[in-house]
Formats: sequence, structure tokens, C-alpha cells
Amino acid sequence: MKNWLKIALALLALGFITGAVVAYFLYNKPHPDYEKIDAAYTLAAADLYKEFTADKNKAGTKYNGKVVAVTGKLSKVEVKDSLTTCVFVFEQGMFGDQGVRCTMLPAFREKAGKLQPGADLKLKGYCTGFNDTDIILDKSSIVK
Amino acid sequence: MKNLIILVFCLTAVSFSADAQKFITKTGHIKFFSESPLEKIEAHNHQVNAALDAATGDFVFKVLEKSFEFDKALMQEHFNENYVESDKYPNALFSGKITNIKDVNIAKDGVYEVNVEGKLTLHGVTQAVKQKGSIEVKGGKLIGNSKFSILLSDYNIKIPGAVANNISKTVEITVEISLEKLI
Repeated sequence: MKNWLKIALALLALGFITGAVVAYFLYNKPHPDYEKIDAAYTLAAADLYKEFTADKNKAGTKYNGKVVAVTGKLSKVEVKDSLTTCVFVFEQGMFGDQGVRCTMLPAFREKAGKLQPGADLKLKGYCTGFNDTDIILDKSSIVK
Repeated sequence: MKNLIILVFCLTAVSFSADAQKFITKTGHIKFFSESPLEKIEAHNHQVNAALDAATGDFVFKVLEKSFEFDKALMQEHFNENYVESDKYPNALFSGKITNIKDVNIAKDGVYEVNVEGKLTLHGVTQAVKQKGSIEVKGGKLIGNSKFSILLSDYNIKIPGAVANNISKTVEITVEISLEKLI
């Protein structure tokens, strides 16, 4: 076999292997570590609720898919199955309490479960949107 | 004045009666699953809002698309960006009725078969849906279960040509909700 053909085949094989490795890592890339991502916005939970209830499309464009930090006095903590949710309640509606619901990351579930209503908190989570009753901050962590 | 007091009492009684029949959850579970020879896709959403009026059978649930969780981050990205386009269509909504709600005795524990009819809005497209399910009455809670399949093309969800053979054109949706009486 001629040398140039050997080199071409080797380059082809190398390219194929590199492509396969890149594809494998892309396919299996981990989920973002939401605790370590800086918040794109920090504001009072009450103000976040006001923005969404005033204009959910405008607020959705601004906050959905972003990590958002909220501050405020905790209304309650709900523990159900594997979910621990810190809730800031601002009004009552068709589904009872309405406000900002922060679903905690597994590492923060135990700590959040011990929080008392009225505690001053700063939480950070991934905003999945407003379901016409609550704003959901998923993968939340306690900042302070 | 006496008539006013009677009117206020009646309105309060009616309102209480209506609320006493309303059951809700904010932590319902929806799973979707699809399988093809090369790819198995499964996602879970544990933050489903659902409400049932046990007097009329009116039933609604609402889902935030970005709250679906996948094992693989890449699948989650593709789901949100290429399939349901969750920035443009952040919610999916079902609004309908349990047509045989009279067969469900909420005062007696047991499992009751139910028929659900309504409209499902997904990816900005609304389609009529008619499915069977069950409601288990257990300790004052109503536990609803239903499983059905949808055709992605019915909701204008396009599968890119490059992966068209690797992804199923139908998706099986499982709904599990534990509704509690609204106090």
C-alpha cells in the first residue's frame, strides 16, 4: 500500500474516532449544576409574582429558562414524596395558595424541611415558568 | 336588612358547598414515554397543577413544559428547543370533564372507572381527547390515573429528518394525580 494512502486512511480513522468520542460525550453530557450557576436576576419573590401576574408573556420571555434568585419571608414548606418545596404565598385563587414555589435540589431538601414559616430567605432556582397560579423555580438551592 | 342577611347566608352556603367538592394538587405527575428500535425516551414532570370539581366532573390540568426532566441533558434540550418549543409554548393544558362523575362516590373508598373528555392543548395546537381512566377514593383523597397515546403530528410537532427513524411518532402519556380537598 502506498504511503499517502496509509496516511489518508489513518486520518480518516482518527477523524471517525474523534467524531464518535465527541458525539458520545455530547449525548451523555451532564445536566447543569444549578447551584453553581450565577443568578441572571435577583429580586423579591413578591416582585417576581407581580411581574408574572401583570404580564405573563413579558415576564416569561425575561425569566423562563433562567436561574433566578428570590428573597422574602417563607410562607411554608411542603414535603410530598421526593419533593420538598419552599413556598412564598401572595394570594388565594382557584388552586388555593398562589405565589412562588421553589422545588429544592436533593442536597437542600433536609435543610429546607427544617425551615420555619416567616424565615427570611434567599433562594435560587431554574425558572420553568408561570402556570397561571404559581411561578416555579426548579432545582432550587438556599443562598442564605 | 333581614332579606340581605338571608341572601348573604345563602350565597355563603352555596360557595361553601361548591368549594367542598373541589379537589386540587400542585404536585401531580405526568410521564411521557416513547420507544423506537434505537431510542427510548422517558421524561417526568412532578409539578402538574390539576383541579377536579367532584360535583360537576369539570377537570383541568396544566403543565409547564420546562419542568419535564429527562435522564439525558441533551434530550431535555432537544425536547424544549426543537420539539415542544417551550419558549414559544411554555404550557400544555387539558380542560374537560369526567362524564360519569356521578358513578364516583367520594364518600366511599374504592376504585372507580371514569371516562374523560376534553381538549388537550400542546405546542399551540388543541385537539379533542376522549380517554378512560380511574379514580381511587382513599382516605378523603382522589387518586386519578390515566394512560393514553398521542400522535406527535396531531400537535404539529415535527421530528427532524435526520433522526426521524430513531424517534417514535407516538408518545404514551401517563397521568397520576393525587387530589386533595381544597380547604
